[in-house]
Amino acid sequence: MRIIPTIAILAGILVASCGSPDSSGDPGAGDGQTLTIYSSRHYDSDYALYEAFEEATGATVEAIEADGDLLVERISATGGRNPADVIITADAGRLWRAEQANLFAPVRSDLLDARVPATMRHPDGLWFAISTRARVIVYAEDRVDASELTGYASLAEPAFRGRVCARSSGNVYNISLLAALIDRWGSDAAQQWAEGVAANFGREPLGGDSDQIRAVAAGECDVAIVNHYYFARLMGSEPDVTEGLALFWPNAEQGVHVNISGMGMSRNAPNPELAQEFLEFAVSDEAQRFFAELTNEYPAVASVTYENAVLDELGDFEADPLAATVLGENQAEAQRLFDRAGWQ
Amino acid sequence: MAVTADGTARGRPRLPLRLGFNPTPFAVAAALLCVAPIVALLAISLGGGSDHLRHLADTQLGLYAWNSAALAAITAIGTVLLGVPSAWLIARYRFPGRGFFSWGLALPLAMPAYVAAYAWVSMTAAGGPVFAASGGALPTVRGLIGAGFVFSFAYYPYVFLLARQAFETHGTGAADAARSLGAGPFRSFAEVALPLARPAIMAGVALAVMETLADYGAVDFLGAPTFTVGIIRAWGSFGEPAAAAQLALILLFAMMLLFGVERAARKRRSVAERGGRQHPPPRLPLSPAKGWLAFALCVTPLAIGLIVPGGRLVQLAIEIEAIRFPFDALRGTLILATASALIAAMLGLGAAYAARTGGRFARGAVRAAHAGYAIPGAVAALGVLGVLGYVQQLADTGMGAAAPAIAGGGILALLFAYQARFAAAAIGPAESALARISPSLDHAARTLGSRPGAVILRVHLPLAFGGIATAALLVFIEVMKELPATMILRPIDFETLAVTAHNYASDERLAQAALPSLMLVAIGLPAMIIVARLVSANGRSEAVH
Repeated sequence: MRIIPTIAILAGILVASCGSPDSSGDPGAGDGQTLTIYSSRHYDSDYALYEAFEEATGATVEAIEADGDLLVERISATGGRNPADVIITADAGRLWRAEQANLFAPVRSDLLDARVPATMRHPDGLWFAISTRARVIVYAEDRVDASELTGYASLAEPAFRGRVCARSSGNVYNISLLAALIDRWGSDAAQQWAEGVAANFGREPLGGDSDQIRAVAAGECDVAIVNHYYFARLMGSEPDVTEGLALFWPNAEQGVHVNISGMGMSRNAPNPELAQEFLEFAVSDEAQRFFAELTNEYPAVASVTYENAVLDELGDFEADPLAATVLGENQAEAQRLFDRAGWQ
Repeated sequence: MAVTADGTARGRPRLPLRLGFNPTPFAVAAALLCVAPIVALLAISLGGGSDHLRHLADTQLGLYAWNSAALAAITAIGTVLLGVPSAWLIARYRFPGRGFFSWGLALPLAMPAYVAAYAWVSMTAAGGPVFAASGGALPTVRGLIGAGFVFSFAYYPYVFLLARQAFETHGTGAADAARSLGAGPFRSFAEVALPLARPAIMAGVALAVMETLADYGAVDFLGAPTFTVGIIRAWGSFGEPAAAAQLALILLFAMMLLFGVERAARKRRSVAERGGRQHPPPRLPLSPAKGWLAFALCVTPLAIGLIVPGGRLVQLAIEIEAIRFPFDALRGTLILATASALIAAMLGLGAAYAARTGGRFARGAVRAAHAGYAIPGAVAALGVLGVLGYVQQLADTGMGAAAPAIAGGGILALLFAYQARFAAAAIGPAESALARISPSLDHAARTLGSRPGAVILRVHLPLAFGGIATAALLVFIEVMKELPATMILRPIDFETLAVTAHNYASDERLAQAALPSLMLVAIGLPAMIIVARLVSANGRSEAVH
């Protein structure tokens, strides 16, 4: 009996030591051949992008992933000692936090400036959008008449009492939406809207965006606020869930709120030239297609064409042209308004 | 999993052993590992302002406190309902599968609560098989109730193992006596055996509730935020380390109260059992119908805690088309868990020697180290970050720009935090393993000419090996499952299975989270089988914390 634990432990050591990471090579050496990317996105489109970049340039990509806020916190905690070349975050809020933490170096590139719309990049070239995601309304076709919906404002109307599902206000997608609405309507009206939506909840905020869609499918609510690609993903992977559901584009007023995923060169980039090469490659037609075709996002570069039947089915929309910087600037206020409005 | 010195360790006077080395440094090291982070937390929380804590008090703090208290209550009730009847059936009766269940019911400890949460949500949300089969009539496993459900089935083995041991040592014999005096089967259980086992049950419940309050992954995923979520949000999302430290101290205070309950319960138990160990009476046969009913009662917690969610993960992992095999994460998990298990075994053994042979100072240090188990992973990690920050300041002022990067975490920091939390899990079993070695063996060996070092190597270690190996395996499993400390302290390019699974799940991609989750269970399960069988064969669960 006693021999078993010994074997188990020895086997564990053996397996562990066989694959010990090679600590002799300093990842921050800046050999011009290895590009280190810190990313809070873990999507297939990004892996395809890295592979395509490796193929196009012969460089090696080391991708290191961490969860949204932790990525910024971890990079800041190491001070000037992190070996990142490029930093990618999934949303504008975290881009702004990384910018505030002084993690980015300015990049001057005519190509990037020409390809990425001015509202989707930092004026000094600290960061650039790679893809966009729209915050939309999903509704049950049998219980909601599309004419009941005009825009985000509809969700706060008394007609939707007990019919709305949304995730928690701690989530950055909601914070970015309210940050945009603060710019659109002013703080007071934005808070009233948050109070109105919270009063209309069919259940307390639980889970993520997919869970809100599932809740509409299950009949717990009639409408839900979600990012469009969650709906697209479910349409592809679990069509029985999305059957009977439809997507409404809240085009009213300035248009649909879009968040961005973005990238920037790290302030301490050991390989600045390779990093810039990567940033430029990421907005090429070839790379931009990945985001639409593999992750159901919209390319940051408007002229890019792609093949994605699900996205085509969702139709066209008017994107709010609000500068992405505003989403970061209004972030703290949005969180305070949510807290006061009692949106959990 | 934790610690217990069994009754014998406390009842017998400690006879001094002659070791040939002074074990006190081990005890001091073990104690410092968990005291230093707490001191650092105190310094951070006093050093920062209270603005953010005040904002939280106005908004979220009540929710964290309510969720923590409610989850503790639900888990306490759930683990008793699941753990106690099954333990009684196994101690008292013969029925189909009894031999397997006597250790098999401990196996859900190999399934991290957050992994069980992923599996249950993917089954019960719209689009899942349970949802489809019930036509949406069954609620989704979510929120407070969902988390209580998951924790009850994840942590009932603590109650089960300790209750079974208590029933086997005294309960069944006492119940027989009650029966012979005319009490019915139920009365002999409820009025005689159950009160005798109550201290053991309370100790098990305290452990289950401590695990519940230390959890981050499941409550975050299920939307029942407790203090651990508040701590990590304050630190990560709001960049307020002082507020995080203040929340951490509040949580630590509650944990220490529970720890006190557990210790007090164990002490009372050793008093109750001082009459000495009795041979349990033979198990009673059950009629076939009742036997299968007992089988059903025992198979339910195992199925819901392990088999069904495990099966769902297998299904998800098979169905997914494109898959990235998490080699780096597997390697990271194995490195961390193996290293931590070995360090804990050495620390535990050293501290146990110190407790046995050292002076009052060494024994006090060992007692402080025992408290480490009450430190949740998130709290230990923040404390370690604080310690590293101070060390970095010292290094920076001493060496200037040449100072190495210490702050911000790393492998050593992570191992430090794991030991702060889990070294205690190895000290207890090491103590009781040594306690069972009679000092007369030492004297005999010395008389025959062995040097003190040889006595340790050739007498103590072979005799204590089973207990210490069990402890090491327990630490291995715990470190593998640990999520919050790993998230906070891991070097940013160092993946583990737990972190990979959590990243996918928080991205709402449960199918991708299935493979790393399944690998966690697949590594943990054999280790847990060995532990459960060793513990079961010894007829006591001293290793189970």
